[in-house]
Amino acid sequence: MMALAEIGRDLSSLVWGGLISGCLYAFGALGLVMVFKCSRVVNFSHGNAAGLAAFLVFGFSGGWFLSLSWGQAVLLAVSVSVMVAVVSYAVIAPLVFESDLTSTIVTLGIGLILQGAIQLLFGSDIVNLDLPIPHFSTRILGLRITGYDLAILVTTIVFIGGLFLIIDRTRLGIAFRAVSSNPLAAEVCGLSMRSVHLFAWVAAALLGVIAALLIVPTTFLSSTTVPFFMLNAFAAAVVGGFSSLPGAALGGIAVGILVNLFTFYVSPEFDNTFLLGVILLTLNLFPNGLLQRRVGSRV
Amino acid sequence: MSDLTSIAPRQSASPLHLVWSRDGLLPLFLLLLVLPPMIGGFWLYSLSLCFANSIGVLAVTLLLRFGGEVSIGHSVFVAAGAYTVAIMEKQFGLSLFAGLPIAMVIGVALGLLLAYPSRRLSGVYLAVTTMAMALALPEIILHAGSVAGGFEGLYVSGRLLPGVDKSLQHYYVALVVLVGVVLALDRLRQSRQGLALLMARSHPAAADAFGITRDWARLSVMGLSGGLAALSGSVLAFASSTVSPNSFTLWSSIFLLVGSVVSVYGLSLARALLGGLFLTLVPQVLAGAGNWIPVLYGASLLAVVLSGHYAPRLKALWRRP
Repeated sequence: MMALAEIGRDLSSLVWGGLISGCLYAFGALGLVMVFKCSRVVNFSHGNAAGLAAFLVFGFSGGWFLSLSWGQAVLLAVSVSVMVAVVSYAVIAPLVFESDLTSTIVTLGIGLILQGAIQLLFGSDIVNLDLPIPHFSTRILGLRITGYDLAILVTTIVFIGGLFLIIDRTRLGIAFRAVSSNPLAAEVCGLSMRSVHLFAWVAAALLGVIAALLIVPTTFLSSTTVPFFMLNAFAAAVVGGFSSLPGAALGGIAVGILVNLFTFYVSPEFDNTFLLGVILLTLNLFPNGLLQRRVGSRV
Repeated sequence: MSDLTSIAPRQSASPLHLVWSRDGLLPLFLLLLVLPPMIGGFWLYSLSLCFANSIGVLAVTLLLRFGGEVSIGHSVFVAAGAYTVAIMEKQFGLSLFAGLPIAMVIGVALGLLLAYPSRRLSGVYLAVTTMAMALALPEIILHAGSVAGGFEGLYVSGRLLPGVDKSLQHYYVALVVLVGVVLALDRLRQSRQGLALLMARSHPAAADAFGITRDWARLSVMGLSGGLAALSGSVLAFASSTVSPNSFTLWSSIFLLVGSVVSVYGLSLARALLGGLFLTLVPQVLAGAGNWIPVLYGASLLAVVLSGHYAPRLKALWRRP
């Protein structure tokens, strides 16, 4: 009986922890999926851009460049990230309609440049970056819940809820959905593809920044932390079907919980291998993601 | 990339074109054959590595040209080839002659295994799979135990013939394998199989009507590419006498793709060498400024892709009176 209760306690706290980190993966995955949905480009520079933003917050608030308050530093870093997103899209824009293969390759080039920029500006040392949130923890129904957990939940609800509201209700959101589901018809109707693409790239960059800032307190910040974290986001996007926004959000949470269980019960040293397994298995069993039915093509 | 239409021999006058095309193979090969006495040990070593890297670049290019897919995980196949040769030698005392074919078989099998789940889906999924495998690889190598040598890696004795200078052996073996690969790819492009693969890529519906399914084409391209990359890895292990986990990361996979782009996706010897030289020499030239390497690689990638896009347009603008 005791053993069973213990397993239950372990399980519930593992699932809770997985849910929290899953929210972060959902942020990353949503950015990838938004860009892919409307412009058919897999943005491999996503993690590098988000990593740069996290480093900029550190640089602006920690006295590396400036000693601003945390809020001001975030504002500055966000504006730089938006600029990076706009410039990245400007580089890709002429290629987007020609070949999604070439544009995907170009995002790798942009990622390399951003990665180099991080290393040139901040070196390859490990730095610490904390969030200005109250440190407290309470127990509810045997679960240990910290201020950090709550901050992530609230941020997730506010931002992902806001994103879905924008996509569901506003003209911009309708344009985004139109361009995603039928680019040709959308263009014929007079929608500007470019501005919809730009909206997706900028929104994705913002989601990436949020994910990066929230992930850093649980680990440390090095030049590869955020890009490697994005593998979780990629796995989440695959689980969600890569072109479904709710799928990406749910995929993030599923991946978060699965990884947590795997780390605890099997091995903490094979995270990426496990993610590779999740990706391969999902592609085999649910080729179009958990939320979609199988669609075939006819000749 | 109009591979299907450009199979017919083209008449070309310019000598520059001769170097880059497949006709440039023989002169270039002869030049590289007589080169060793004229260069020092450092260059001999660098060129041997360059030949090995060129094969890796060709593997990525093959996937791009014949399959229309990007991989950012080819270091996995390269590592598989390199470790196969090293482990075969250490555990079973087998030389490169035996290790090379085994490495290739393992590379092909690995390629098929990893491409199988996404064979019916868009190329995006293969790219993401390759990224995951590149990130999973270091974990697997480090925890494979003493067989793989952990952090330090393994030593490869790298001697095929007794009595012949070791660095010359490295150079010539790497060169011969590279030229063999270039010739094989040239044959492939003109063979029925090669045409079938290209057709499945550019006209899937028509290919289907001829009985060539896209699944089959995508699997076989990935298998071939994986085998080629494993070959590159075994030559790399032989030429550098060592294998270690930190030469097979996500970055080294991305660099292979950069090499392929810089060689303008070429399958000729000169193009492959260009990609290989880029990968081998840039880190050596920039040894003191390692942080500039990703910037330079990224910028060259963008420069090649964007000039490929803009150059024809600018030329047309220039020609217009």
